[in-house]
Amino acid sequence: MNRQAFEEDSPLPAYPPDSRFLRQIPLFGKEGQKKLADARILLAGAGGLGSAIATYLSAAGVGYIRIVDEDVVERSNLNRQILYHEQDIGVCKVEAAEKTIHALNSDVEVDAVCRHIDEKSVNDLVSGMDLILDGMDNFTARYVLNRACLDAKIPFIHGAVNGFYGQVTTLVPGVTPCLRCIVPTTPTWEKNAIIGVTCGAIGSIEASEAVKYLTGTGKLLENRLLLWDGLRGECESIKIVNSPDCNDCGFSEDEPDSRRSSQ
Amino acid sequence: MKITVKAFATFREVMDMQVELELPAGATVRTLLSELAARYTGLDTLMFSAPDTLRDFVNILKNGRNIHFLAGLDTPLDGGDMIALFPPAAGG
Repeated sequence: MNRQAFEEDSPLPAYPPDSRFLRQIPLFGKEGQKKLADARILLAGAGGLGSAIATYLSAAGVGYIRIVDEDVVERSNLNRQILYHEQDIGVCKVEAAEKTIHALNSDVEVDAVCRHIDEKSVNDLVSGMDLILDGMDNFTARYVLNRACLDAKIPFIHGAVNGFYGQVTTLVPGVTPCLRCIVPTTPTWEKNAIIGVTCGAIGSIEASEAVKYLTGTGKLLENRLLLWDGLRGECESIKIVNSPDCNDCGFSEDEPDSRRSSQ
Repeated sequence: MKITVKAFATFREVMDMQVELELPAGATVRTLLSELAARYTGLDTLMFSAPDTLRDFVNILKNGRNIHFLAGLDTPLDGGDMIALFPPAAGG
C-alpha cells in the first residue's frame, strides 16, 4: 500500500503531507491514485520496454510490481535499458531493477523474479495480478503469456520494438482480439537493431494504457493497433478484429463466452 | 473496385505509406500483391521467400482481420476494403 497519496484523508495524519502525486491527482482524483496504489501488475521482461514501463509506473505510484526477467545486465543493454547503470553490469536484472525502482519510490512493493517465462512458470507469475504488461523480446514467450491472460481473464498490454518502429495494443479477453489473432506466427528478423528512444516511446504508451486501465480514465487502445514510426515521425492506429478461428482465443463476436479453452 | 493499402514500418522503405488501387472484380490478396510488386521495386523480395510463400513477418490485415484466418493469399477482396501490410516488431 502506497500511503503517500492518502495522508490528507487520514483523520490522524502521522506524516507531513506528501506532494509526490500533487500534479497528477487532478487527472483521476484521489480515488484514482488509490486505485494505482492498490494495483498489482506483472511486468514481463526488464529490458528496454520494461525499463520505461517500470520507471513510469513506479513514479506514478503503482503499489505492487512483479518484475520478471532471467538475464543479467550487459554493457550492450545500456543504450536503452535505463533501469541499469554501469555498476550493474553482471548483476541480475531484476535485482538491479528493484534498487532503481526503490531509489525513485520506496513505497512500491517490488517482487523481483529471476525466472524464465514458459508454460511451467506462467500460471504462478500471473496469479493474483490485475494487469500484465509486455516487456518481452520474443513472440514465443508472448504467446505463452497471451494464453495465460486469456485463461485467467487478465488484460494484457502488448508492446514491441524494432529499430525506430514499434506497436502497442491493449488486449482484453472477451472484448478484443488476442495477440495470436493479429500475429498468428512468430516473426523473425535478420537485423535486430534497437535504440532507447523507441523503447521509451512504446514503453511510455504501454504505461499510459496501464494508468488509464487501473484508474478508469480515458479510452483504451482496445480493438486498435497503434503503429509507431519514429523514423518518419508518424503514428497511426488501425482497427483490429478478432478471428473466430484463432487457436488461442477463438471467441465469436456473437458469443463472447464461447472461448474454446473454456469448453 | 477501389482498395486502399496502408504500409507500415519496413514496408515503407520500398513503397508509399498509403496507396489506392483500382482492381477488377474477383481480385484476391494475391492479385493485389502482384499489382503492388509491379509498381514498387524490391517489394516482392521483401514479402516473399519463394513464389506464393510469404515471409513470416508479413502480416496482412483485411479490414482488421489477419488473412491467415481467412483464405490467405486467396482471400477475396471487396470494393472499399482496407488492407494493412504490417511487419510486427518483436523486440523488447
